[in-house]
Amino acid sequence: MSQTSQTSQPGENLVPTTLSTVLTLAGVTLKRLGRGKALGIGGLLTALPILYAFAVRARHVPSAPGDLFYASLLLLTMLPAMFVGASIGEEIEERTSTYLWSRPIARWAVLAGKLCALVPIVIALLVGGWYAGIRIWTDAAPSAVSCVALAAGCIAASLVAAGIATVVPKHGMALTIGYLLVDLSIGAIPFSLNELSITNQARLLANFDGSPVTVTPVIAMAVVAGLWGLVGFARIRRLEA
Amino acid sequence: MSIVVADSCSKWYGHVLGVSDVSWKLGGGIVGLLGPNGAGKSTLIKMMGGLLQPSRGSLTVYGRSPFHDVAVRRRIGYAPEHEATWDELSALELVTAMARLAGVPAGKADKAAKDALAQMGMIAAMHRRVRGFSKGMRQRTKLATAIAHDPDFLLLDEPLTGVDPVARVDIVERIKQLGAAGKTIVVSSHVLYEIEALTSDIVVIYRGQVLAEGNVYEIRRLIDRHPHRIRVECDQPRAIATALAPEDHVARISFERGGLVVETRDPDRCYDQIAQAVLARSVTVSALSSPDNNLGAVFEYLTGDGGRR
Repeated sequence: MSQTSQTSQPGENLVPTTLSTVLTLAGVTLKRLGRGKALGIGGLLTALPILYAFAVRARHVPSAPGDLFYASLLLLTMLPAMFVGASIGEEIEERTSTYLWSRPIARWAVLAGKLCALVPIVIALLVGGWYAGIRIWTDAAPSAVSCVALAAGCIAASLVAAGIATVVPKHGMALTIGYLLVDLSIGAIPFSLNELSITNQARLLANFDGSPVTVTPVIAMAVVAGLWGLVGFARIRRLEA
Repeated sequence: MSIVVADSCSKWYGHVLGVSDVSWKLGGGIVGLLGPNGAGKSTLIKMMGGLLQPSRGSLTVYGRSPFHDVAVRRRIGYAPEHEATWDELSALELVTAMARLAGVPAGKADKAAKDALAQMGMIAAMHRRVRGFSKGMRQRTKLATAIAHDPDFLLLDEPLTGVDPVARVDIVERIKQLGAAGKTIVVSSHVLYEIEALTSDIVVIYRGQVLAEGNVYEIRRLIDRHPHRIRVECDQPRAIATALAPEDHVARISFERGGLVVETRDPDRCYDQIAQAVLARSVTVSALSSPDNNLGAVFEYLTGDGGRR
């Protein structure tokens, strides 16, 4: 869809730029999130790895960052679904999107605005919980690469959520959680099928076994997430109210 | 130039028909889309607003496809029929965001939103969250979101639904003011008197088809198989009936308490002949009215068995 008018018609010279659209939608999304319940629930869920770290520290369990990382991956199956999947799904299902489709904006910018607002929140919560948990358990900061791996997992899982929510808005959150739980299970199986698992690639990238760091997990995650992102952006272009 | 041109435009939702083979042009002014629930009014409005694309045929607004052409949507203001909005926001935040998304620059969006809310009588409540609004306040806020970017063409889908009578009168006046300011406005409703209060230019939609269009009188002329009724309240109904009975345009005469009702296929001629009969036979007339000038009667005709295509 064009963002500029082809011919000069009265009133058409004020079509918003894509940047302005994305920023406006990101701002609105953050305001709505801040005034809803999702952020509080997300915060409580994020506290689970921290509580786990307190518990194992109190019982003097030897540190095993991989275990805590797995707990964070479990949260990865929920938080992107709660934030991204629910936000996009509700927008379409509750028909507030009709206001947006009637505006002179590119539809993909709606998805981009939501992702710009919500992905950093998901990353902050998950990586923050992981960081705090490791600090509590080991008195040391987690490795930078493990934080990057978790952040990359958040981005990939958010794109999965966006894709699923545009296709099945009514059940966007539930189906995303289901998909990511299956993803977690597939990642645990010792066959090449686990290459398709976002959570498995995040674990490989985090590199807890000390093997040389490679970009292969990033590429694999990017391919899977990119496909879901394409589904989302293609679907939203054709969505009708 | 026509603002909206629909050419053999159809829309299906799977196997469900929304709009069927509509060919229609909209010139300007306030136009009422009238039809029962499920007639296809909202579908037509959504296609004009760029929310839906026709399954077959074409529909253009200002010569362009509103679904595909971003720029033409800048000239359109749309207020949907449903109540759902971004309820977590205040009315001012909501309208400002919508103005920004319609292309109003950041520095001017706040003022544009306040002006729109003031036009809709919502200034006092503009800092309150939409979540706590009554239906009337929601409708006004929706209208403010539609007008904040000063569009040329407004699409108002059921703007009076659920509104109390006092608010209804107020909203009707505000919509009329927008029409008087030169906006082209399409208003839909399934309630006859709501449309009637706004405009005499109507398009009647039924079962996805444009059944008739024009003003009430033009529509009335389209359906000559349904006689126009004239009620005469007088002291000598039989005298008038005797004078009119031989005329070929008179389809039926019925007597009511204190008068009679004449059904005619030529209202102008009939009015003349009633006047002549009154003068010739010294009849005292207390009231002369036409039930068919009310949209309700026209709608009944058009959507009744005889009016169906």
